[in-house]
Amino acid sequence: MKYEEALERLQTIVADIERGETNVDELAESLKEAKSLIVFCKEKLQKVESDVKNILDD
Amino acid sequence: MNALSLYELNGLVRATLEEEMEETYWLQAELSEVNQRHGHCYLEFVQKGEKEGLIAKARGMIWANRWNVLSAYFSRTTGQPLGVGMQVLVEVSITFHELYGYSLNVVDIDPTYTVGDIARRRTEILRQLQEEGVDMMNKELELPMLLKRIAVVSSPTAAGYGDFCDQLKKNAYGLAFDVKLFPATMQGDTVESSVIAALDQIAGEETDWDVVVIIRGGGGAADLSGFDTLRLAEYVAQFPLPIITGIGHERDDTVIDMVSHTRVKTPTAAAEFLIQHGADQLATIERLATTVGNTVLGRLAQQQSRLELLNQKTDSAVRMLLHLKLNTLEKLGVSIEAADPKRILKLGFSITRVEGKAVTNADKLTPGTIIETTFAEGTTKSKVIEK
Repeated sequence: MKYEEALERLQTIVADIERGETNVDELAESLKEAKSLIVFCKEKLQKVESDVKNILDD
Repeated sequence: MNALSLYELNGLVRATLEEEMEETYWLQAELSEVNQRHGHCYLEFVQKGEKEGLIAKARGMIWANRWNVLSAYFSRTTGQPLGVGMQVLVEVSITFHELYGYSLNVVDIDPTYTVGDIARRRTEILRQLQEEGVDMMNKELELPMLLKRIAVVSSPTAAGYGDFCDQLKKNAYGLAFDVKLFPATMQGDTVESSVIAALDQIAGEETDWDVVVIIRGGGGAADLSGFDTLRLAEYVAQFPLPIITGIGHERDDTVIDMVSHTRVKTPTAAAEFLIQHGADQLATIERLATTVGNTVLGRLAQQQSRLELLNQKTDSAVRMLLHLKLNTLEKLGVSIEAADPKRILKLGFSITRVEGKAVTNADKLTPGTIIETTFAEGTTKSKVIEK
């Protein structure tokens, strides 16, 4: 998954929860997905950041 | 009949001239020949008609003792030695020799007249280029970012070309240049044709070169009139590659210096120009490298804080939603409690059942029926006595 896609999905989930549109039964699932997406995005960013720093140090 | 000998006749002409003519005259004329022999300078003056060719011609000379002074004076003022094709203003005395005939002995020269004439000619050429709309064409070409492949038009024997190459080689930035010489005569009558031939050759392999450099070494007084021609100026102005020229000297720009993309003073300065251009490009790249690094890191940081924000938002949104649902649930609980029969029973009401079914109408009961009464606490059985 691309970073932008992950971020977009994350934003949708948060917006749905904020608007109260998420079913209670699905809430735990949504939260789990949101947390996974955050971890996924963070990892991507950290990877890119360390790549960038390596390139800049060359 | 009293015939004269030729010597006598010529002698008469000479005597008449010496008697009748002023000692000296100021003469405006064009030089069609300039030759130095044994320290003297031999000239030929001409005047051209409006349409037909020559309409007047005279031999002239400058004796060595005068020539030493006048030639230096002339070169110093005009930046060029006395040369063929120049318009000159000279003070002459008329001589007539029985054997050698009529000639003009130059005693003084006014170089500013020639300077003016050269300037006039250059102005005229520039005006014509303007009329053709081509005078700025080479100047409007954009210098490529990378000036690496350099076609040089110069004389292979001139010191200038060597200076140029040396200067390029010892640049402090480690820039590598590919230089090729396209030989041309840089002085005298054949300048126009040989420079054009060199330019033609370069134009034939145009994509192999980034820039053309036309340089002339020496710097001092030289006959530059070959560079002041309309045809060469048109060539330079309309050349497809940018041209850098270093032809004229301190006080004097030739026409092609004026129409070229960039004019420098010396071959060394031409090399410095190219080196500076390369150094500027290097600095730009260096700056971009720093900027790109900072921009990328900045964007990453931006994304990180955005994620952090979303993370917090998720947590609070979930908490909010749960709270909301619980609230709804609690409200429902209150309503349900309100409907609970136990609460009614506690108020003193009771439920009457017959065979487990609640009785809501006394008509259904007949005397003797066993009824079951449920209170808030406990149950009793009774019999209906009367209705």
